[in-house]
Amino acid sequence: MCGLGKEWPSSAASDFGDRPRRDTDTVNPRDRLLPVGRRNPVEALAQQVTERVVDLLVGALDVNQLAARVDLNAVLARVDIDAVLKKTDLNVLLDQVDVNAVLARVDLKPVLDRVDVNDLVSRIDMDALVEKTDLGAVIARSSGGVATEALDATRGQVVGLDQFVDRWVQRLLRRGHPAPSAPPALLPAQAVTLAPGTAIPAQAEL
Amino acid sequence: MTARPSLVSCQGHYAGSVSRFTAYAIDLAVSTGVFSLALAAISSGVEVVTRHNVSWNRSGAVGAVIFVGWQFVYFAYSWAVGGRTFGMAVLGLRVVRADGTSLEARQGIIRALVFPLSFLLCGLGFLGILVQREHRALHDLIAGTAVIYAWDARAARLRFLARQAELAASHSLPGGKPGI
Repeated sequence: MCGLGKEWPSSAASDFGDRPRRDTDTVNPRDRLLPVGRRNPVEALAQQVTERVVDLLVGALDVNQLAARVDLNAVLARVDIDAVLKKTDLNVLLDQVDVNAVLARVDLKPVLDRVDVNDLVSRIDMDALVEKTDLGAVIARSSGGVATEALDATRGQVVGLDQFVDRWVQRLLRRGHPAPSAPPALLPAQAVTLAPGTAIPAQAEL
Repeated sequence: MTARPSLVSCQGHYAGSVSRFTAYAIDLAVSTGVFSLALAAISSGVEVVTRHNVSWNRSGAVGAVIFVGWQFVYFAYSWAVGGRTFGMAVLGLRVVRADGTSLEARQGIIRALVFPLSFLLCGLGFLGILVQREHRALHDLIAGTAVIYAWDARAARLRFLARQAELAASHSLPGGKPGI
């Protein structure tokens, strides 16, 4: 075994006294407890000075002011978002999101107040909606029957005749200026404004 | 019924001559029919009570006055209350004020009062429906009214499309039963 039969230095030997030496006596446990300065006083001084300077520096720094000076746009511009997203497993992320809890915290009323429902509805192509979905069957069953349909057809035919006669009268009178299509109070409410002299084809439009 | 591709809503537009004359023809038929039925009912009632045969002659002075009075009541009441007569309702027309706002009862009654003036001079008063820019007849100009289309062609178009969609669905199903 190492150290067996060796003589310890006099200082170390005096620490152990007169007791017999053991194997563990090869490592002096007091070495770890000794302050660094006892081995290198200059290094210890430098360390103490550095620690003090850092403390003073951190204490004097206004982190908020520092953050305000940081140009986040420039920082973000240097970030490759695509690369970050490629490394991110969104499924795992979404699995951890409690959507119900999120929705429970959302106040939908102010959101809905800001939505222009009329504008939204006006963008809907009702013709396509009725033709391509089962909504047509629902409307057909809920709205009138044969009588209503016949009435719609009759009205459509008569309106077509109205427009036909009106077009010929306009031609005979050779009117240059277009006639108003509706009373003033009803003009903004019109969904579609017919051009003056425009005729609805007799067998069309309804 | 043929397929009709485009959609036009004429709601609120000035009604044309064909619509208005057709509506008037329906009104004339209905009011005359109701008048005749009422006279027949009254005659039967009087005959049952008095055992005397009562005959009404509309060409006579009394009969003519009653008939004109009935016509006035029919049109005045219809325009004053709802802004439309039965014939106008069938054709989807409505009487409004010249600016497009709702008709007042007073104006409806005035319109019924001056309505006969349009028949004078061989019906020249009605010529305004054809040539006047807002399709207003003489009685419209006097009463400050106009006649507009009050039916929604867009809704009619949707009903038409819905019927087509339902027919298509019924043909596509094996049993021919339409499904939602």
